[in-house]
Amino acid sequence: MIRALLLAKRDYLQMVQSKAYLFALILFPLLFAGGFLAIPLANRGNSKDLRMAVLDRTGVSAAAVMEASGRAYKRAVANVPFSSGSAPRLMLEEVKPEADSAAQYLALSDRIRSGELFLVLEISPQALDPGKAPAGGSKQAPVRYYTNSGGLVDQVALWLPGAVNDALRRVRLAQLGVDPARVGSVLGEVRVESMNLATRDPITGKIGVGSKKNAVQAGVVPFFLVFLLMMISIFGSAPNLGVIAEDKMQRVFEMLLSSASPFELMMGKVLASLGASLTSSAIYILAGLAALAGMAMFGIAPLHLLPWFFVYVIASVLMLSGLSVALGSACATPQDAQHFAFVLILPVMIPIFLLTPLMQQPNGALATGLSFFPPFTPVLMLLRQSMPGGVPAWQPWVGLGGVCVWAAAMIWFASRIFRIGILSQGKTPQLGELARWAFRH
Amino acid sequence: MFAVEIDQVTKSFDTVTAVDALSLAVPKASIYGFIGPNGSGKSTTMRMIVNILEPDSGSVRVFGEDARAKRQGQIGYLPEERGLYRKMRVGALLEFHAQLRGARKAGPAVAAWLKRLGLANRANDKVETLSKGMSQKVQFIATVIPEPKLLILDEPFSGLDPVSADSIRGAILELRSRGCTIILSTHDMGVAESLCDSIFMIFRGKKVLDGSIGSIQAKYGSDTIRVEVEGGAAQLGELPGIEQVKDWGQYQELRMSAGCDPQKVLECMLARARILSFSVVKPSLHDIFIRIAGPQPEEAPVD
Repeated sequence: MIRALLLAKRDYLQMVQSKAYLFALILFPLLFAGGFLAIPLANRGNSKDLRMAVLDRTGVSAAAVMEASGRAYKRAVANVPFSSGSAPRLMLEEVKPEADSAAQYLALSDRIRSGELFLVLEISPQALDPGKAPAGGSKQAPVRYYTNSGGLVDQVALWLPGAVNDALRRVRLAQLGVDPARVGSVLGEVRVESMNLATRDPITGKIGVGSKKNAVQAGVVPFFLVFLLMMISIFGSAPNLGVIAEDKMQRVFEMLLSSASPFELMMGKVLASLGASLTSSAIYILAGLAALAGMAMFGIAPLHLLPWFFVYVIASVLMLSGLSVALGSACATPQDAQHFAFVLILPVMIPIFLLTPLMQQPNGALATGLSFFPPFTPVLMLLRQSMPGGVPAWQPWVGLGGVCVWAAAMIWFASRIFRIGILSQGKTPQLGELARWAFRH
Repeated sequence: MFAVEIDQVTKSFDTVTAVDALSLAVPKASIYGFIGPNGSGKSTTMRMIVNILEPDSGSVRVFGEDARAKRQGQIGYLPEERGLYRKMRVGALLEFHAQLRGARKAGPAVAAWLKRLGLANRANDKVETLSKGMSQKVQFIATVIPEPKLLILDEPFSGLDPVSADSIRGAILELRSRGCTIILSTHDMGVAESLCDSIFMIFRGKKVLDGSIGSIQAKYGSDTIRVEVEGGAAQLGELPGIEQVKDWGQYQELRMSAGCDPQKVLECMLARARILSFSVVKPSLHDIFIRIAGPQPEEAPVD
């Protein structure tokens, strides 16, 4: 084992002193921060005022709808995360209906196409009496809007319908003769908040009433931890593919085999990867905590999860490094090794593809079940643990047990391939041939 | 007691038998030369001694123990296909290899060996900046620090210039004088004859020669005439009792058949040309190698 540590020390120093490692170390936060910076940057490109036209065919609703829309838009803009407050203003104008409605539709559409208008809202007379059957049996909605904006998520739909309905209710009540001064108290909105569950302090026994859920804590923190774990696992393990194939091509292993066994050589590589990954993790976690402290947001730091995070880094890197050294040793050239990269990153990428549905239901059957499948356990169990509400206390331990068994199996499997791979010559074998190496006496 | 004892060892790779029922005993503090054509089983035998490969059957014992026993630092192995970490500095690399083989503080020994092989000023250079010959010398040093009891060198002289080869040869002899047992393979029969106490030849996985140079040559007897003649090999055709003429350019070697009288051969040659030198000698190792491993009559190419 001393020789494995000596080999690991050499490989670790070479790894962390390489330009590729330093580049990846800097690239990760840039990638991560880039995603969040993109939100205000994307809005910054739209700094031109947004002009919304209201085509009111009721004759009495335009003012109320415009007033409610303006308020709703301001609230929506204020809730955009990481926005700098420089969102474009919403300018409102009323458009009177014209006799030739088709020509008016076209003219308004052309104004949208030219960028003069952002949106046209059309309110039909039926909007003031939604219980009445529409004239001519029309299936059209009483209120419609036309716009060129929107992509995968229609941002307008998040704030406009509520504002329009609120305004129309006020108009209807006014038509019924309700005193406008009393309408506010009838239709006024109340805040509805999501809260954390109440807990009992295990030491003092005192019951802590649930606090308000923090949106950043609920969404960004789990995403950050999972993204960090994924990147560190891949950056810590994938380089082994090329490095080992290169060492094999340079016949370095032949020189070492009289001094160390194939298993020691392999464990040296695996431990070096682990060391480099833990180094990266420590740097990022410390930098993250320092950044939170600097922003006076240290309270959202999931300190209770940090030990689990490091455990999952170790588990994930052990599993992936075992696989990467085995695959790398079997390759004839570093170029061949790149062909195996997809096999390596698959166990990490599959949970990432499922991240959105799993984050919506972190304790659903799918998320719970998948988080016990060892290759997915580090990413998915950490995700579930970091979401508000967490997981039952036994689940991480059971998951960890499965991961330990899986990691041991991977190391065994890798060592069987490695001992043959480092001395093999000729073309790179297929995956089936590798399996035969592993199970051959 | 022997440093290495190989008993009825067989090793196959798929359908190819690389080593077939091989037995061999290498005395301590000797230089044992492994010769044989490419692919005959030399490197496989060496790898089994170092325990990189395990025999399918038979046993390999090193210093009386099974080859699989741990002997950290006792065996130095220089493989035929060898490489070094190219990004490491020479001195650090050698200390790393020494530590792997159990040496704690190898700095002074590394410095001494670098000086001895003329690389003292390259200790802080990266391996990738060295020439091929320098790299080979560094590989040799990595193999002998800390000083092993058994040194296995697979083609240690290949690609070396005469000066570098001489320095390695001197180091090998010095290690032997200090009690180290050395097994080396070579395709240079001159090196094998001049350096080795004993020669072992393997051909198609089987042992075909084993013993001292003298005993091997004695087995073949004095059946060779070395002659220098005006007009060269063209004057030596169809001589009575001569099986084969080997033209070395400046001289020729004639192999006599059993019962051939060298005096009669000399008389015939004198009748044909002026003889500059004539001697009856034992066959060289090179000649013996060719006799064993050269194309057999049924295999010889047909013009």
